[in-house]
Amino acid sequence: MNERKRKLTSTFLKAGSVIGGLVLWHVLATVVVKDPTLLVSPVVVAVTAYQMLFVTKDLYPHVFASSWIFFYGFVLAILAGVPFGFLMALNTSVRDYVNPWMATLYTTPRIAFAPVLLLWLGIGAGSKIAIVFLGCFFPILINSYYGMRVVNRDYVELARSFRLSRSALFLKILLPASFPFILAGIRLSVGRGLTGVAIAEWFGATEGLGYLIFFAGQTLNIPILFVGVAVFAALGIIGFEIIRIIEIYAIPWRKEPQGS
Amino acid sequence: MSRLLVRKEIVRGSLSIIIGLAIWELSTRLLLDNELLIPPPSSVLITFWNLASSGELNKHLVATLIEFICGFTTACVIGIILGYLMGMYKWFDEIMDPWIATLYSIPIITVVPLIIIWFGIGIFSKVVVVFKITAVAIILNTAAGIKSLDPVWLELAKSLRLSDWQTTYKIRLPGALPFIITGMRLGVGRALLGVIVAELMAANAGLGFLLRDSSETWDSPKLFVTVILLAAMGLVSFNLIKKLEQRMAPWRQSAEWSSE
Repeated sequence: MNERKRKLTSTFLKAGSVIGGLVLWHVLATVVVKDPTLLVSPVVVAVTAYQMLFVTKDLYPHVFASSWIFFYGFVLAILAGVPFGFLMALNTSVRDYVNPWMATLYTTPRIAFAPVLLLWLGIGAGSKIAIVFLGCFFPILINSYYGMRVVNRDYVELARSFRLSRSALFLKILLPASFPFILAGIRLSVGRGLTGVAIAEWFGATEGLGYLIFFAGQTLNIPILFVGVAVFAALGIIGFEIIRIIEIYAIPWRKEPQGS
Repeated sequence: MSRLLVRKEIVRGSLSIIIGLAIWELSTRLLLDNELLIPPPSSVLITFWNLASSGELNKHLVATLIEFICGFTTACVIGIILGYLMGMYKWFDEIMDPWIATLYSIPIITVVPLIIIWFGIGIFSKVVVVFKITAVAIILNTAAGIKSLDPVWLELAKSLRLSDWQTTYKIRLPGALPFIITGMRLGVGRALLGVIVAELMAANAGLGFLLRDSSETWDSPKLFVTVILLAAMGLVSFNLIKKLEQRMAPWRQSAEWSSE
């Protein structure tokens, strides 16, 4: 009974906070600010979102354009990051030689590479995919590396005592044991990839969500700006949840997600 | 044995950097003689020297650092206070939670256009960007730290008849410190990205401005100087915080894979 009451209060407080905040926002926009180039009421944002989704259908081309960029960059990052992380984990000399470059590239704010990539690859899809790739690559690489490094010694000993061949050791022990870490890396890279999409589309794009936000900002179109930000947030949450569901099914033995 | 291994790692790492730079220098001098695409390291170095001695670099570096430090310190103070309140009072936590979660799930850089519209193109908008990014990370982590305090410590405080203020000052805050520092570390990388993005979009000084300026005037050596400077900033701040984290919470595994 007490538990139920607590839950009820919790929901009530949360709902109250959301509604109160929205009302405050509405009052702020319509009474205090009164300037549609600075702030608009949440009602206007909702109406704009509805129209862009169902009436004019303006939103979809942008979502598709961004999704393709994201998809290619993301998949390429997985295809490159996982094997490379394994290689670094299994071969110390590779690791020692590559490490300083990777650490530098990883800690540099990604935006710094955007103009350089633009210079090299032009303003087409190539440079955008490369920017997304750079964002996703490092979390995946580092997690694959780490996952391979921390495989329980007992598993390896067991494999040895069963005289597993090297390839069997890799396929049956090392790969499954590091799988949770790889997925954690992939999950982290969803958000970074989306940020990458936004950055990429600011430079010389003509469509896409990043372009939509940038353009709305330049033309002081606040409703569209808000819609764009909301779609980005929604995509981030959806991507994150998809990976989490994959995690639950792919690694049922896992208790707690790492690195979130 | 292990010291020998570390030395080997350092030797290989430095060797890798030297060889990499040599290949870069030679290939840009001999094969690809085009300063526009990839300037050789030597000309990057010369440009760096010229920019540094003319004081231009200083101006931009100082601008970025001031924006970063102002936003970061404000975020630390307010973030720790809010996080502490959220950790202490359930009702406050429930009221804040939906908004913090929303702010957290929005990719930071998509709100940069909005922040520039609201707070102008001067230093203030960048401080706000840094503040927003860092504060959210610190709030969440501080709240988590306060909530996960060992109850035994609190009982100890009680049996020692510590006042409420003393309990907070001597038990709760030190206990939550490792979490707070994790929040700071997560904030640093993203805040650096945020401030550069904000400067890139609208500013008259700062490294982001320099990045945009040099890429729009096709001044590749200058562009590379900026990129390398940003890489250095990222590397230094990342390692500083990591050191701090190891110092403050040596019992926690360094969590470099869970970055950003």
